[in-house]
Amino acid sequence: MTPFDSRGSGTGQLVRLGFQEPAATQDALVRLGLWDSGRPVDDGAGTVVTSVADVADPDLAVLALVRLQQAQADPSDLVHALCAHEGLRARLLGVLGTSTALGDHLVAHPDDWRVLLDDDLVAARPSRHGLQSRLLAAVGAPTGAELPWGTGGARASLTGAAAVEALRREYRRCLLELASRDVTGTVAVEDVGGELADLAAATLTAGLAVALAGLPHDATPCRLAVIGMGKCGGRELNYVSDVDVVFVGEPVGDGDDDAALRTATRLAAEMMRVCGEVAWPVDAGLRPEGGSGPLVRTLASHEAYYRRWARTWEFQALLKARPVAGDLALGSAYLDVVAPMVWDSAGRKDFVEEVQAMRRRVESTLKGDKADREVKLGRGGLRDVEFAVQLLQLVHGRTDDTVRSGTTLRALDQLAAGGYVGREDARHLADSYRWLRTVEHRLQLHRLRRTHLLPAPDDEVGLRRVARAVGYRGDAVTTFSRERAGYGREVRRLHEKLFYRPLLSAVARLPADQARLTPAAARARLEALGFADPAGALRHLEALTEGVSRRAVIQQTLLPAMIGWFADAADPDAGLLAFRQVSDRLGSTPWYLRLLRDEGRAAERLAHLLASSRLVADLLGRAPEAVRLLADDAELQPRSRATLESAFVATVRRRDDWEGAVAAARGLRREELLRVACADLLGLVDQEQVGQALSDVAAAVLSAALATATRKVETELRAPLPIRFSVLAMGRLGGGEQGYGSDADVLFVHEAHDGVADGEAAGVAFDVANELRRLLALPAPDPPLEVDADLRPEGKQGPLSRSLASYAAYYDRWSHVWEAQALLRAAPLAGDPELADRFLAAVAPVRYPEGGLSQESVVEIRRIKARMEAERLPRGVDPRLALKMGPGGLADVEWVVQLLQLRHGHELPDLRTPATLPALRAAAAHGLLDPADAEVLRRAWTLVAHVRNALVLVRAKPAVSLPTSGRDLDGVARALGYPADSQGDFLDDYRRSTRRARSVVERVFYA
Amino acid sequence: MDKQQEFVLRTLEERDIRFVRLWFTDVLGTLKSVAIAPAELEGAFTEGIGFDGSAIEGFSRVHESDMLAMPDPATFQVLPWRSESADGPGTARMFCDITMPDGTPSWADPRHVLRRALGKAADAGFTFYTHPEIEFFLLKGQPAPGEQPVPVDAAGYFDLTPHGVSQDFRRDAITMLERMGISVEFSHHEVAPGQQEIDLRYADALSTADNILTTRHVIKEVALSQGVYATFMPKPFSDQPGSGMHTHLSLFEGDQNAFYDGSDPLHLSKVAKHFIAGLLKHAAEITAITNQWVNSYKRLISGGEAPPYVCWGSNNRSALVRVPMYKPKKSGSTRIEVRSPDSATNPYLCFAVLLAAGMKGIEEGYELPPGAEDDVWSLTDAERRAMGLTPLPSSLAEAIDVMERSELVAETLGEQVFDFFLRNKRAEWTEYRSQVTPFELGRYLPVL
Repeated sequence: MTPFDSRGSGTGQLVRLGFQEPAATQDALVRLGLWDSGRPVDDGAGTVVTSVADVADPDLAVLALVRLQQAQADPSDLVHALCAHEGLRARLLGVLGTSTALGDHLVAHPDDWRVLLDDDLVAARPSRHGLQSRLLAAVGAPTGAELPWGTGGARASLTGAAAVEALRREYRRCLLELASRDVTGTVAVEDVGGELADLAAATLTAGLAVALAGLPHDATPCRLAVIGMGKCGGRELNYVSDVDVVFVGEPVGDGDDDAALRTATRLAAEMMRVCGEVAWPVDAGLRPEGGSGPLVRTLASHEAYYRRWARTWEFQALLKARPVAGDLALGSAYLDVVAPMVWDSAGRKDFVEEVQAMRRRVESTLKGDKADREVKLGRGGLRDVEFAVQLLQLVHGRTDDTVRSGTTLRALDQLAAGGYVGREDARHLADSYRWLRTVEHRLQLHRLRRTHLLPAPDDEVGLRRVARAVGYRGDAVTTFSRERAGYGREVRRLHEKLFYRPLLSAVARLPADQARLTPAAARARLEALGFADPAGALRHLEALTEGVSRRAVIQQTLLPAMIGWFADAADPDAGLLAFRQVSDRLGSTPWYLRLLRDEGRAAERLAHLLASSRLVADLLGRAPEAVRLLADDAELQPRSRATLESAFVATVRRRDDWEGAVAAARGLRREELLRVACADLLGLVDQEQVGQALSDVAAAVLSAALATATRKVETELRAPLPIRFSVLAMGRLGGGEQGYGSDADVLFVHEAHDGVADGEAAGVAFDVANELRRLLALPAPDPPLEVDADLRPEGKQGPLSRSLASYAAYYDRWSHVWEAQALLRAAPLAGDPELADRFLAAVAPVRYPEGGLSQESVVEIRRIKARMEAERLPRGVDPRLALKMGPGGLADVEWVVQLLQLRHGHELPDLRTPATLPALRAAAAHGLLDPADAEVLRRAWTLVAHVRNALVLVRAKPAVSLPTSGRDLDGVARALGYPADSQGDFLDDYRRSTRRARSVVERVFYA
Repeated sequence: MDKQQEFVLRTLEERDIRFVRLWFTDVLGTLKSVAIAPAELEGAFTEGIGFDGSAIEGFSRVHESDMLAMPDPATFQVLPWRSESADGPGTARMFCDITMPDGTPSWADPRHVLRRALGKAADAGFTFYTHPEIEFFLLKGQPAPGEQPVPVDAAGYFDLTPHGVSQDFRRDAITMLERMGISVEFSHHEVAPGQQEIDLRYADALSTADNILTTRHVIKEVALSQGVYATFMPKPFSDQPGSGMHTHLSLFEGDQNAFYDGSDPLHLSKVAKHFIAGLLKHAAEITAITNQWVNSYKRLISGGEAPPYVCWGSNNRSALVRVPMYKPKKSGSTRIEVRSPDSATNPYLCFAVLLAAGMKGIEEGYELPPGAEDDVWSLTDAERRAMGLTPLPSSLAEAIDVMERSELVAETLGEQVFDFFLRNKRAEWTEYRSQVTPFELGRYLPVL
């Protein structure tokens, strides 16, 4: 049975046992007298060596053992005891192999190891009272006296450094006993927390006795209660953490408040100092007004504060309040006062907003490489569990007094029993929580430091120690990492489990859960999640999950997560409604539910999009099949203009009814709009790409409509067109800057084939252009695309299409400078490309006049702009928020660019582009604009264009200006990447950016 | 409903309050009030009271722009002068925060401007305290247009006038302020005939600004009740000093005065020096806010207690920023005094820009220039130039021009208030410029 084999070398045997530094270990074992000639000196020594090998960090244990033995008066004593006493072996070696800090304590106090001889240690946990008596006795307070309650009760006979030293030693001894039981697995993790809290309470009591001893005899009498908060109050303390307290002071009898508070403050401060030197910092920061408030308040003053000033998180902190030291009667009076307010807090005006904010804080991920190593604050860490449990308590504890425990695990049990959390979920979550707490305890025991950070991935020794300390053997690190990932995942899904799934139990029969959330409780929770119409939301949930069909069952597993995603977006109610509508349409389509269930990303994206954008909800409502797009990033990339055009044109070619053909093309357009909108909202494309993609879609649908119109006219003529025909893009479409709600600005140009009379050609061209417009304007269930040809010569009075020669003649004779300006953005769009090129060549001298603009023309442009600013601003809105015509808006920037193009286009080829941003870049590169000014203009233009698109996405219809309030504004701000509820910041940024742009415009355009 | 709101509702019952006045200010600092019956108050707490924002200077430029006034129950006070007798039916007031219909704060609300500035300082760990010295004139009745104002007395600095109107006046006013929970530190007769000063106890800047608004109102009410007229106009008399509002500023970190450093000869910390440097560097930009009227500049250029040059000095009463003498063992009261603001400023905006300028100095670590020991007034122009003393803007027009180029002020006020303020002040200047003044008539008419 013995693992030792006379044939192997000593170090080899030690390696097999798991020592990492066999040579050093062998030396140490020899010095301990346990090892000789490559094997243990006897069977007893062999047992000791195998026991050492089994602890968390055997090498650490051996080194500590050597130091401990050297500190002994009789060195053989310790080794004999270890050989003879199995209990001592397990406890002492376990502690030494886990905690360097406790090892140091044992070396400093060489007789303290003897307390671990007592096998009764594991039989019973120390009582609260017992701990109190031990620590009070340590500072020389009379035994059996009344506990200190303020200026009276047991008084320490030690003071100053001596008191601190004595108390620290006894505290460490108690900690040593507890740790020895903990590492040998004889105490459950929740009991460790409870016992540590008792030990903390006893330490505070002894600290108070020391403080009392230092008080002058003429100090005004006072009562002082110490209320434990946080983990101390919740009886789930760590080995090392700040101990959170709040103090309540009162005069004795009818004494003077102020004088009594002065004494109480002195006592409290001294107690904090003593305990801080002994064990851990005492933190009174949770008191009213935090660090700037008085340390001790009277009961009435606490009450007044909580009645008038306290915020929701302060009530959340009070959930765990518990009298731990000092005047316990005063402590319970305090609880009687604050407890009802805690449970009323869910009825406060700002409760929902504050809870939302707290939830977002919890869910906001830590940055950097430490995030993965954090067991407390990281995603899926301890704080996630604690916070979620506390929020549920605040929401439901108001009406149900059975869910008010201050201890996380107990509260989780209570919530499960009340039906607020699924039983299975609660059990799994409790397991994860226990596991994480165990890890945290082991991490802290090592050096008795306040840490929640796992060793770095390259710290093999550290990782191995932690993994083994938690109880894994063999390839401990691998097992540990795997388990940690599993528990982390479990916790990460906790919001789904805790918050959302029980909502379904209110409306659907879930077989696993006997207890059900009542409808009232479900409404309260939905409201806390940000649903404006919780009753409506419940109805939708009911409709989605009712029945026992496969569809209902899948929805029941999907919805908990979906509700959370809706709640994170701008308009949860609209999102859920739209989801119900889409699901109603696609409910029985097999791929739909499979997609949502199996492609996790698709479901999350769908929820986010539906609750962010009415345009997407509308488009999806009409074409639910497009949900497929969401599963695949490649599907969400805009397609090229050529691809779109051939697809659209092929579609219309297949149809012989003209209206039907164009309707089909418009259906394709709807899907493409959806693709762009989704990519835009999901941040997969930037705004320049969005503008280009929307322009490409418009080009494709116009090409398809032109093809159809041409075929129709040809059918009527029973001959091919006697003309060449081309459509030129103007305005934003020409610049590749189309928005979701933009019209398509175009010019029609034609040229008669040889031998065709001008009049006949003009007639045919009119028919084609007119038919194209008619087909696209037919009523249909998709967003309209208005074809606007008003930029043509003579505007609405002029012929719809002109021949190339006619254009040339017109611009030669009549052209106004604003027409030259409009032509800057002309670009080929559809129809005969060669004709389009010749058109552009013909107008080149108009738009890039040789020698630049005359001074009169410059003045004319400035005057037109000034007049437009006075006349074209939309009425009834704040002009500063008008997107196109407002100061610093789109027109301001574009006119600056266009004036430069008119003046310098003839000499600078790269200025000759219909697109705004490239022209702006070229102007800056050629020194026509100060680069800083160009940057200001670029930012403003990009921002306003983005806002204009976001408004259409959010509202499903275009707007001329930004709203100043409301859900739409919130939605736009979020679509631009602002956090929730920062409409004010967003508007301020918008105004700032446009103001700066405007001041550039005034300098470079008007002067 | 929270406990604070319940407290207000209970008090209404107990004190037999018949009207509740909801107070807020427009961007220029004019007090606005809407009275509601107690029965409506419960609704007002939850829903707010709707009003048309476009009717209030600077709130909104759009018609039908609903806004909400949300009463802040922490500011509830019974108005002492509105009760007919000690226990008769009374009137109470609360300050309001202004919100948009969706419940988010209105960025046009001056209280919100100050809240944001305070929030930014709080993020850096600081709380901002202020202590204003409010000067004003008591006149014999309100002068009709064109009439010369007449002060109530001919007394001077610290004069005790037996049975003087101002004596009784100050007593009544202070009693009333104290009854409204506003502590008065100090009050005395000022230099000019009829001129009074009331100093409010230092408090956090938001409470102080609320208190200044209340104080101005109380003083006007008490004056009316005594048949005299009180005015906060910065400079009502050409030949007498104007009414300033010298303001003492301090920053606290927790309960520590962040301006105090015992090891410095002036007992000023680095924070304090950077803060002063910030005030000086941005002094010209913020002048349009601290001195917002055409008339304000007649006080600034007249000398005396008003500082027209950008400089600081230890206990130098001619400097823009004065560092009062350190009193031993009073580290908590270390502070600096800014002497430019006048009594007709909008205190919310004024405190916001002072704080922002100082904080900028701290953030950027501005170096404090050497202090001015001389009486700046007694120097010649050339001497001032040699010492690099730049003047503050000498007119509202100049002040607006400087402010318009200030990103600091735009950021602090928020773009909406910034934009409104500039437009409003430019209009005021344009209107002023077109006036033919008594000066012109007196000088030109007889000879031209």
